[in-house]
Amino acid sequence: MRVAVTGTPGTGKTTAVTAADSLSVPIVHLNETITTHELWTERDTDRDSLIADLDAVRSHLGAWEGIVESHLSHYLDADRVIVLRCEPATLESRLLDRGETPKKARENAESEALDVLLSEAVSQHGAEKVYEIDTTGKKPKEVATEIEAVVTGTKEPSAGTVDFTQYLTQ
Amino acid sequence: MSESAEQKWGIAHVYASFNNTLITITDQTGAETIVKSSGGSVVKQNRDEASPYAAMQMAETVAEQVKAAGLSGLHVRVRGPGGNGNKSPGPGAQATIRALARAGIEIGRIEDVTPVPHDGTRAPKNKRV
Ligand SMILES: Nc1ncnc2c1ncn2[C@@H]1O[C@H](COP(=O)(O)OP(=O)(O)O)[C@@H](O)[C@H]1O
Ligand SMILES: [Mg+2]
Repeated sequence: MRVAVTGTPGTGKTTAVTAADSLSVPIVHLNETITTHELWTERDTDRDSLIADLDAVRSHLGAWEGIVESHLSHYLDADRVIVLRCEPATLESRLLDRGETPKKARENAESEALDVLLSEAVSQHGAEKVYEIDTTGKKPKEVATEIEAVVTGTKEPSAGTVDFTQYLTQ
Repeated sequence: MSESAEQKWGIAHVYASFNNTLITITDQTGAETIVKSSGGSVVKQNRDEASPYAAMQMAETVAEQVKAAGLSGLHVRVRGPGGNGNKSPGPGAQATIRALARAGIEIGRIEDVTPVPHDGTRAPKNKRV
């Protein structure tokens, strides 16, 4: 079983999969893998980000099993795709608290408000493989329990369950 | 695109999410808001049936307000996955832009300024769906 855990930076992917300790599956933190193994082509200097080389990522991972966690994980082939969601203003302050720049926090919060990654996940994999989880107001352990339910097959697919566009009109 | 000195143009900021579309009309500088839509939300409805219709209805209302404000044309800035044409699952910016044009508003430049999720890494532009 290949499970991609995606979601806008700040939705709590790394925290939640780390807390999902009832699962004994391998976990790949893809952002680290891309940096460590230099799986990128160019630098986006505006965003202080490396532009991932997705073909290099795919061949580096090979026939993976378990969980791949990253806002890029939905670009991979997967059996199930979990999209973590978080109310954008909350996400923005989480990123600021994590020490990110206001510009980075803002652009990610706007991406979250516009459902950018949810739409990509649905386009790429079809709604029947996508599991949207709204983490707003949930503790990491509660989010982890929902991730575990997707992996063990006790949760139904879902997409389009939240509307965060109000953030854009404030 | 015929933009003469005496014609007033504005910018239509179209926010097209998975299941909602919003439009804000500002002046050319982006500083002054002229019209704010309430949104064409289709959450929890049958999206296939409801989405283009909700977005179009909103665009028609906005078009009337734009004309009342004395604007003759709009440049368009699209943000969101609903802005990427047929592949998108969202109601789409395309339906909104068409509805504005049909209501007699001239459409100028159309730019896609969709935000990019990033965290030390990001996806290549051409691989975004
Ligand atoms: N469920 C949660 N509730 C409140 N804060 C959280 C939650 N999950 C993560 N955080 C905090 O939000 C920030 C982003 O979490 P992180 O796991 O790094 O997100 P991601 O890996 O999706 O970018 C961190 O500072 C983390 O401590
Ligand atoms: Mg992370």
